Amino acid sequence: MSAPRAESLLPISGDIWNYARAAHLLERAGFGGTPSDIERLAAMSPADAVAHLVDYAAIDVSHLPEFEESGFWEPSFKNFPVSRPAATELAERTGEAMGVKVKPGGSRPLQPVTNRFFYWLRATVLETRRLGFWWLDRMVRTPRPLEEKMTLFWHGHFATSEEKLRDYRKIKLQNETLRRGATGNFGDLLVAVAKDPAMLVYLDAAQNVKGAPNENFGREVMELFTMGVGNYTEDDIREAARAFTGWGNDDLTFVVDPEKHDAGVKRFLGREGNFTGEDILAIILEQKQTAIYIACKLYRFFVREEISPAFAETLGALLRDNGYELAPFLRTLFLSEDFYAEPSVATHIKSPVELIVSTYRKLGLTELPGIPDPHTVSKTLGQVLLYPPTVAGWSQGRSWITPGLLFERANFAREVMFPNIIEFSDPLHNPGEEIRRVNRNIIAGMEITAATLEDGAAPSATAGIQETFNTRYASLVGYSEAVRKLKPIPRAAAQFSLTRTVLDGGARNTADAVDLLVKQLLRVDLADTARAALIETLEDEIGTTELHEAETYMEHGLRIVAHLIMSSPQYQLA
Amino acid sequence: MRKTSKLSGADKAGLVQSGFSSMVLGEAGGISASPVWSKVAEKQAAAHDRILVIVELSGGNDGLNTVIPYGDDAYYNARPHLGIRKDKLLKLDDEFGFQKTMTGFERLYKDGLMGIVHGVGYDQPSFSHFSSMAFWQTGAPNSGEQYGWLGRMADAIDPLGHTKNFLVNIDDSQSLAVRSMNHVPLVFNDPDNFTRRTFFEEKKALEAIDARGNGSANPTQDFLFDIARSANNSEQLVRDAWNAYESPIDYGLVPWGLEKVAALIAADFPTKVYYVPFRNNAFDTHVYQADLHARLWSYTSDHIAAFVRDMERLGRADDVVVMVFSEFGRRVAENTSLGTDHGTAGPAFIIGKPITGGHYGKMPSLTDLDDGNLKFTTDYRRIYSTLIQGWMQHEQPAAILRDEFSPLPIFQRTN
Repeated sequence: MSAPRAESLLPISGDIWNYARAAHLLERAGFGGTPSDIERLAAMSPADAVAHLVDYAAIDVSHLPEFEESGFWEPSFKNFPVSRPAATELAERTGEAMGVKVKPGGSRPLQPVTNRFFYWLRATVLETRRLGFWWLDRMVRTPRPLEEKMTLFWHGHFATSEEKLRDYRKIKLQNETLRRGATGNFGDLLVAVAKDPAMLVYLDAAQNVKGAPNENFGREVMELFTMGVGNYTEDDIREAARAFTGWGNDDLTFVVDPEKHDAGVKRFLGREGNFTGEDILAIILEQKQTAIYIACKLYRFFVREEISPAFAETLGALLRDNGYELAPFLRTLFLSEDFYAEPSVATHIKSPVELIVSTYRKLGLTELPGIPDPHTVSKTLGQVLLYPPTVAGWSQGRSWITPGLLFERANFAREVMFPNIIEFSDPLHNPGEEIRRVNRNIIAGMEITAATLEDGAAPSATAGIQETFNTRYASLVGYSEAVRKLKPIPRAAAQFSLTRTVLDGGARNTADAVDLLVKQLLRVDLADTARAALIETLEDEIGTTELHEAETYMEHGLRIVAHLIMSSPQYQLA
Repeated sequence: MRKTSKLSGADKAGLVQSGFSSMVLGEAGGISASPVWSKVAEKQAAAHDRILVIVELSGGNDGLNTVIPYGDDAYYNARPHLGIRKDKLLKLDDEFGFQKTMTGFERLYKDGLMGIVHGVGYDQPSFSHFSSMAFWQTGAPNSGEQYGWLGRMADAIDPLGHTKNFLVNIDDSQSLAVRSMNHVPLVFNDPDNFTRRTFFEEKKALEAIDARGNGSANPTQDFLFDIARSANNSEQLVRDAWNAYESPIDYGLVPWGLEKVAALIAADFPTKVYYVPFRNNAFDTHVYQADLHARLWSYTSDHIAAFVRDMERLGRADDVVVMVFSEFGRRVAENTSLGTDHGTAGPAFIIGKPITGGHYGKMPSLTDLDDGNLKFTTDYRRIYSTLIQGWMQHEQPAAILRDEFSPLPIFQRTN
C-alpha cells in the first residue's frame, strides 16, 4: 500500500481509509467534529464519505432556525441618504426625509430628521451583528457543514461589507444567494451575484452610467472574481464597465435602466459587439484563465497554499471539463490522493471562523454560545462575518497569525473553557463612551448643546449657539431606539462536560484523559515533553492518577488541560 | 486601564540572555559587555539608533486634493466641483497649498521638517489597490517577490537577525512590506491585549507546549512555533512600554498608531523600522469625497505632526524619519459622483528633523496626461533608495531594490 501522492487527482484506495483521514476530510470539507462524527465517516467507503459531505441536498435542514428580523425596516428608509449632511439638506429642500417631516418651528427643527438618520445607521449595524450570530450558529448546528463552508468561501470571494451597504436586508439576501449557489454552477453564481443588490451597491453600479462609466465593478469582476490580475488590459476594464452601465437596483430588485445603458459597440478581450453585462460575464467564463483562477482559489481554501503551474492547469481543466459545476470538482478534490498526501495534511491554518466553529463542534455543542460574544472574538481574531476588510475578502494562511493573534487564540480558548461570566455584559447594549457621556448629561438635566460639548469645554461655549440639529444627541436617541427594538441574542455560556467526555471515552487514568482530549482536539500530536507536562498538571489538579477517584470534581482540571491543548501552536492547524 | 507589573531584575537578566540586551541595558556600552552581541552592537551604535517609520495610506490618496496645485488653472478645469478654492486652502507658496484641515502638515512644512516628493509612481501603473500596494510593499512591480522591501532591508542590514524586533508593524495582521527571510516582525495593534491570560498553575505546562523542539516535516507547524517564541519574548516588553508611556501631546481625533510607535521608542526598543498603516482602504474616495477626504487628512496630518513633536519631547527628533505614501493617486478629472477614481502618481512625504525640507521631484503636468492620468516623474524606489542609503546608511540599496535608483538629495544637510 503506497502513500497518497501529491498532485495526483486519482481517488485514494479504500485500503488506507481510516480515522485520521476521515478526520482530515471533516476538518477541511466541514468544521471538524467529535470522535463519533469522525468514526461515522471512517466506517463508510471514502467515496461514500465524500458524497455524504458534498451531495448534501438530501440531508434535511428544516429544523435549523430561520433568521428572525427585529423589525427595523420601514419603506421610508428606501434610498437612504448617503450621509448626514445629505439627509438634512434633503429635509431642508423638500421638507421631508426618511418619512420624517421637518418641524415647523421651535428649537432644532431638523432634530427628528437627524435622529431618524442615526437610528437606521445603528439599527442596521445591530441587525447585521444578529445576522452574523445567526450564520455562525448555523455553522455550528448544520448537518450540511460543506454548504456553510462553501457559503463562507463565496462570502470571502464575492466580498461585500455592511460598512458600505448599511442595509442588513441586502446582506441577508446575498447570503441566501451564496448558500443557494454554494456548490452549484459557478457561472450561474457569478451572474446571480452580479445582479444581487448587495454587490450592485457595494461596487457603485448606480454611479456607472452611459457617458460616465464607473469602473469599480468592471475591474473587480475580472481582478478578484474571475481571472486575476495580468489577464486583461485597462481597456478591457473600461469596455466592461460600459457594458454594465445601466445596471442597478430598485431597493432589493435588480433593474436595468435602458436610458443609462451604453448600447454601443465594445471591444472586450479580443471580441467586438454591442455587449451587455451578461455578454461580458459569458465571455469571461469562456476564458481558460477563469477556470484556473477559481479552481486554484478553491484548492487553496480547502487543500494547501502552494500550487505548481502545471497542477494549476490540471485543476483549471478539471473545473472547465465539468462545465463549472462545483460539486463534481469538489468530489474529485476531496477523494484525490493529493488531498490526503503529506503536504496537504495538518498544514492549513484555521481562519478565525473555522477556529470558533470547529472548537464548538469538537466539543459536541449543538448551538452557538452567546458568551464569549462571538462578534468580539471574531473581531479580535481578525475575521468578522459580513464585514470583510476589503473587496478582496480575507487573506488566508499565515496572514491569520501574528504573535499577538496567537495569544488571542489562546484567550478565546480560555473564554470557552472558563467563560468570564462575572464581567460579561452584552456588547450590543454598549454604545461607547461618547454616547454614554451625553446620556449621563441629559439624565442629569443638562440642556442639549451643553450636554454634548466636549468634556472640559467652557460653559460659555454654548452661549449664542443656535443649532438646527445636534448630531451627538441624535446619536444617543438613535441608539436608544434601535436597542429598544432589537431582538436579544441568547447569552448563555457553552454547556458541556469534559468529565463525561473522558469517562465515555473509556479513560481510566490521567494519561488516558490527556490522550483522549488531544485526540478530540488536535490533528497533530504534541511533543512528548508537552504531553508529560499536561499529565503532570492534571495530576497536580486532581491529586491522583486514577480518574475514578476524582470523578466528582475533575472537571476543572480537565478544562485546564483542554485550555492548554487549545493554546498550543498545533491547535491552529487543520 | 489595567497596568501590569514592571520587569523584575531577574526577568531583565533573562531577557538579556535571550538576546534583548540592547533594549534592557539601553546603552551601547552595556551591550558590548556581552561578547556575543558586541560586533552587532558596535555597528548599530555607529548608525546612531536611526529609526525609520513608514506610514501607509491605503485606498489611493487623492494627491491633487492633498498638495493642491492651486496655481495651475488646469486643476480647476479638471475639477469644477471638487477643486478646492484658493481662499479655502493653506498656501505653502505661489504654486501649492494643503487642504484647510492639514494644519499639522502646514506647520511641519513651514518649520522645514517636510520634504514633499512630487509625481511619485512607477512605469506601467496598476490601478488595482491590491497589485499597486503589493508593488509598493515589495518594491518590485510585477515580480511576484515574496518578501517586502523593508524585510529585505532588514535581512541586508542584519542578516543573522541579531536585532530582536528589528521590524514592528502596528496592525492586526502583518503587512507584506515587512515580510522578511531572517526576521520575525513584531505585529500588534492593541498593546493592552497583547497578552495570553493564563492561570498560575498552567505556566509550567505552557512552557512545554510552546517549546519548538527540533523542528518537524511540517513547515506550517514550525512557523507557528516561531511565532509563539516571538510572542513570548515580546509580550511583557510591549505592555511595559505602553503602560509606562504618557504623553502630553494630542495625537488628534483618531489616533491610528503612531502613539504606539512613540511608546516603544520612549522605552528604547531596538526596533529600526516601524510600519503603520492608516487602514481599511480609507482613502478610496470614489463618491462624495470632499468632506470625507478633508476629514481623513485632518486625522492624518494632526497625528503625524503630533508624533514629530513627541519625538522632540523625547529627545529623539534627530533619530527618526517618517515616510508617508499611498499606493496610487487618483484620476485628474473628478467623476460624476463627486469623487475620484483610481489613478497613478501622487505625492509622498519625507518628514523629520534630519531632512532638508522643501520640494523634490517634478510636479507632473495636469494637461499632458496618459489617458486622463498623471505621468509619474519620480520612481517610488528612488525614495526607498534614499531612505536605505541616506538614512539607514546601508551602502548597497541596489541589492535590495534589484536595480539602481538614484537617491533624492534630502539627507545632504546631515550627511
